[in-house]
This record gives sequence, structure tokens and C-alpha cells, in this order.
Amino acid sequence: MSAMRRNKSRAPKPPRPVVYRWDLDKTYLRSDFDSLRELVRIPFEKPEDKVAVPGVAPLIRNLRKTATDRGRTVRVFFISASPPQISKAIKEKLTLDGIEYDGIVFKNQLHYLVRGKFRGLREQVGFKLTELLKSHRDVPADSEELLFGDDWESDPLIYSLYADIVAGRIQNEELGQVLRAIGVDPPLVVAAQDLCTDMQCSDVVAKIFINLERRTPPTNFRSFGTRLVPAFNYFQTAACLYDSGHLTLDAVAEVATSLVTGSSYTPLRLANSLADIVRRGHLREPSAAAVRHHLSPLGLMPQRQRPAAQPPWWQRVLSWFTSTPEEQPVADQAIDYQALVTQWRVTR
Amino acid sequence: MPTIAIDAMGGDFAPEEIVKGVAHASLETEIESLLVGDERQIQAILDGVAYNPEHISIHHTGEVIGMAEDPKAAVRHKRHASILVAARLVAEGHADALVTAGNTGAAVLACAQYFKTIRGVRKAALASVYPRQTEYPGQDQLALLLDVGATIRCDATELVQFALMGNAYARKISKVASPRVALLNMGTEDTKGGDVLVHAHRQLKTITGMNFVGNIEGNDLAKGKADVIVCEGLLGNVVLKLLEGLAEVVVDLAGTAAREHWRWKLGLMMLASGFGRLRDLTDYSAYGGAPILGLQNLVIKSHGRSNARAIKNAIKVAGKGVRDGVTQEISSAIEQL
Repeated sequence: MSAMRRNKSRAPKPPRPVVYRWDLDKTYLRSDFDSLRELVRIPFEKPEDKVAVPGVAPLIRNLRKTATDRGRTVRVFFISASPPQISKAIKEKLTLDGIEYDGIVFKNQLHYLVRGKFRGLREQVGFKLTELLKSHRDVPADSEELLFGDDWESDPLIYSLYADIVAGRIQNEELGQVLRAIGVDPPLVVAAQDLCTDMQCSDVVAKIFINLERRTPPTNFRSFGTRLVPAFNYFQTAACLYDSGHLTLDAVAEVATSLVTGSSYTPLRLANSLADIVRRGHLREPSAAAVRHHLSPLGLMPQRQRPAAQPPWWQRVLSWFTSTPEEQPVADQAIDYQALVTQWRVTR
Repeated sequence: MPTIAIDAMGGDFAPEEIVKGVAHASLETEIESLLVGDERQIQAILDGVAYNPEHISIHHTGEVIGMAEDPKAAVRHKRHASILVAARLVAEGHADALVTAGNTGAAVLACAQYFKTIRGVRKAALASVYPRQTEYPGQDQLALLLDVGATIRCDATELVQFALMGNAYARKISKVASPRVALLNMGTEDTKGGDVLVHAHRQLKTITGMNFVGNIEGNDLAKGKADVIVCEGLLGNVVLKLLEGLAEVVVDLAGTAAREHWRWKLGLMMLASGFGRLRDLTDYSAYGGAPILGLQNLVIKSHGRSNARAIKNAIKVAGKGVRDGVTQEISSAIEQL
């Protein structure tokens, strides 16, 4: 009996399920709604007319494949503020791109239009947060979650709020204050608070990736902490996901290849992107070196390397005297959402 | 796409304005920028602005030559200074051209150390552009003056070579099909100015394919009589500083006048938009920088006070110069001499 119990305790723990949550417009799709003309055109677009952000489709396909190969249960969800009337074209586009997904949510814009609540058409925080919280109830409690958004709307704020709510770092009262400060529709504030009640809290959100489609300066995201990774392209995101064990090097190479063959990227542009994400502290140098080493024989990295001005050891010695002191990584502190909302509204 | 090495640490407002200029260029062009300087400082500045990392690489070096440092001593002792490393990277083929807003003397010495002169060229020349009147539609609003300080005295052959180099540069960069080339002299007659200028004038008249318009005097500099003005370095430098000084005096005088009398102030206010246009025209940041001509590699020397806009435009000029083959054009012009 005791031997059986020992054997049971030695049985390998099943790998954690993983959930990938994706925003759609500007994160997956290169939706152009900068002008009224472009906005009007969107509902009439055919699936084949819709354009995915370079590198995103192979990235999602490989996230699922890597997780499955490693025996992890994987779920991919999409959330979109687009109306359900265009869902057919979007779903077909995802199928065309070979994306398997487990759920997709659209915003019922008509609901706001009929009620004459035009502000609700643009306000995304309440809608997305409540949908994320609803979806969270349906996934295993020990799931690891990774969230993907962009810098156009309020994805960094929504995702950070969601991550802190499910981790139990934000209580109902504070959540209400924050959502009201943002101007969320009161019924949605109540709905979000209800969803938080009796929630089994766990720190499940590992990373939030923000696609810098608008080229927002990375400093603007500093208040969100190191959990949030602003990335300029999906090669940077793929490299970080390799670093965290969510992708293989072959998968990173597939993303890089798609950028080179489909979006006029060059090996130099890829190398520059990799160096940038290392300098910004989101990718460890050994992982970057592994990516470089893997991509070089495939012709995806520049063949010629620049010589260092001085030997690396001498550079390190010199930098003690000549360079500005390196910023020490600081442990993430709790986000002050009240201050963040004020600051975020100013920068928008 | 050309790769331009940029001395990130050189200039009165370096590295802040230099890095911001590179960031702007990365969003507006496909040019690859290779920033040479303190990596941590550079990245900290980039983090605060919009930029496209795909077009920017950084080559770390910790040493800097200050604007007020003695160029000779600094170049000798600071072997890993940003300007020297940037020049070396260009010479080794890691970049196609160099942009610096740093210490002019150090920049010239760095170029002399790493770059070869084009075959047949006896001396490199530092050129500068300045705004002037135009005489015909389509004429460039900027004239090219060379040499403005790379040399002190020159002989006739060197002046002729300067004319050929300036002519090639103006044809490629200003897109003036046949730029008017002139010698700066103390009179328009071809016998004026001493042996060197007389001899240079005689040689320039014989060059086919160059629109040599003869001598021009100082009072013609601000008019559109010539697009390329050739002189020796001592004179060119005096002219350039005089033009800069005059512009400052005019602005100062206008300010004084405005304080003197309310009617003058009112008049100046009514002319404000006109002054604005004039300021735009004379704004050095609009044209980025001036080339050092005669070297096998293109070098754009920006003003020491360059802001982000000036650096962005200097990068664009350097990129254009590389794409349009300015050095090859100069090389073939010198070969034909």
C-alpha cells in the first residue's frame, strides 16, 4: 500500500495547459480603419482580401504545434471589437491561414447603436475585460496564459488588469474604481465585478505581448512592468517565446522565413530586430545567440559580422569607467492602476 | 539599401539629437543606420521615441572626442573614439557612408586615417551648402561652396579638381543637369587674383562638359549666378563664417528694432510669415550637412549644433549620394582630366 502511494507521488506531473489569447484587429489582421472610407470597406472585404500582420500566422500555428508536441493541452482564443456581422469573413480568413482556434468573440456593436450609446462603440475595456473573465472560467485553473495585443487601443491596460484580477491582486472595490475612471458602461462594471466574485485566483498570465503597430515608444509601457513585452514585429515575439520555452528554434525559423519571403524582410533587418529586443532586456543573450546560430546556416542572418571595437573583456572593463551605469532590473511592483489610467489617457 | 554609419556621440547635442534623428530616418526611409557610440545611452534614448529597430544597428564604443578637444591629440590618444570607429567600419565595408556632427578637425583626421582619396585626387575638399537667390525656375535654392576648410592654400590643379568634384556632387545630389561652376575671385576678369586663380581659370575654360561661368565676386555669392563656387580653404572658411555671422546679426537687429518702437514691432509682426519662410530657407537642418569630397567613401559633415531633423536629412543625403554613385561620378570626372 505504502509502495503504491510512493509510486503515485513519483508519477510525473502532467504539463500545464497553455492558453493563448489573441486580439484580432492590428494584432492578427492588418485592419486599416484609419479613415472612414477604410472603415466602411471592412464589412465588404472577402476573406482572401484580409491581410494578416507579417509572421503572425506561422507563429500561432507553431505555438499550438510546440505545445501539442510537448504534451500540453493548448487553447487558442480570439477576441475582437469588430461586429459579429463580419465574423464569417474573419473565420474563413483564419481557416485560410491554417489557424485552429477554440473560441472567438465579437462585440455586439448593434446593441450599443440601438440603445444610442455611441460611446460604447469605441469603449473596449469593459467589453474585452468581461469577455476575458468569462473565458477564464472555462479553462483549467492551472493553465498558463499568454496574451497578445497591439498598441492601438487599450490592450496593455485591459490585459494587465485581467492578469492582476485573475492573480487576485485587484479586489472588487478597486476594480470598480478603475473601470469607472476609464468610463466603462456601468452594467459592464457590475458584470466584471460579478465575474471576479468567487474566482479561484492564480497568477496564470506569464507574458503580455504588445505588437507595436503604431511604433509607440517602448518607454510608454514601462509602468506595466516586465510582464508586458512591447515587440516591433513577430520575429521579436517568436524569439521571446523560444526563450520562454513556448516555441522551438525551427518554429522561430519558420516565422523568420515567412517575413523574408512574404514581407521583404532581410537577414539584416531580422538581426537588428533580435539585437533590439536583447538590448531592451526582454530576451536573454544566450537565447538570442541560439537563434542566430540556428538561423545563420538557413541564410536568415547576415553572414558577415562586424568586428568589435575592442575585445569583449576590454569593453567590459572600459565600460566601468566610461559608460553610464547599467540600470539594474527591478523587481516588478504592483501596478498603480489609478495613476496608470490617468497617464494612459494622457498618452492616448 | 545603403548602410550609413553615424557617429552617435559627436555634436553639441549628442547623443540625444543624433539618436532621435536616426530614429526619424528609420521611420521615413529604408536606409540602414549603423549608430556608433555608447550602446546603453543610445538604447535609452531610442526607448523614449518612435523608431523602427529593423533599420537600426548599434556598434558599441565607449570613447568620445569632445567638440572642444584638440583634434590631433584626441585622434592620437582615443583610438576607440566613436568617430574613428565609425570611419573604420566604413573603410572596412560595413557601411557605405559616414555622417558626423562632431569635432570637424577630428572628423577630417579620421577620414584621412581610414579613407583613401580617389585615384588622381590630390586633396579632399570640405564643401558646404548655403541658401541664395535663384535666377531661373528650377534652380536649386542652395549653392555649393568648396573648399571651406579642409585645405588652407591650393594650387591651380587642386582648384580645378575641386570644381570637378563639386560639379559631380551637384549633378547627382541637386539634380541640376548642368550646374554653373565659378571661381571665387576679387574680380570677374580672367586676369584677376594672381597666378593660381588665373591659371585655374584658364584650365577650367578648357574642360568640356562643365558649365564654367568664370569668376564671381563676393557680392555675387548671394545671387544665383553660380551653383558651385570654388575657392581655397582659407577663403571658403572665412566666407562661410561671414555668412553665418551676418544671418545672426540680421536676426539680432530685427529683435532690437522690435524693442525700439512699437510701429517697427508691428511691421515685423506683419512680416512674420515672410521671415518664417526665410528662416526655413536658411535653416541648416533642412539640408543636413555638407560632404567631404575626394575620398573613396562618402562623408557628410553635419553642423555641430545639428538637431534631429538635421541628422535625419544628413542620413538621407548620404543615402542618396551612395545610391546615385557620387564618388564614382567624381572618380570618372577626375580620370577625364
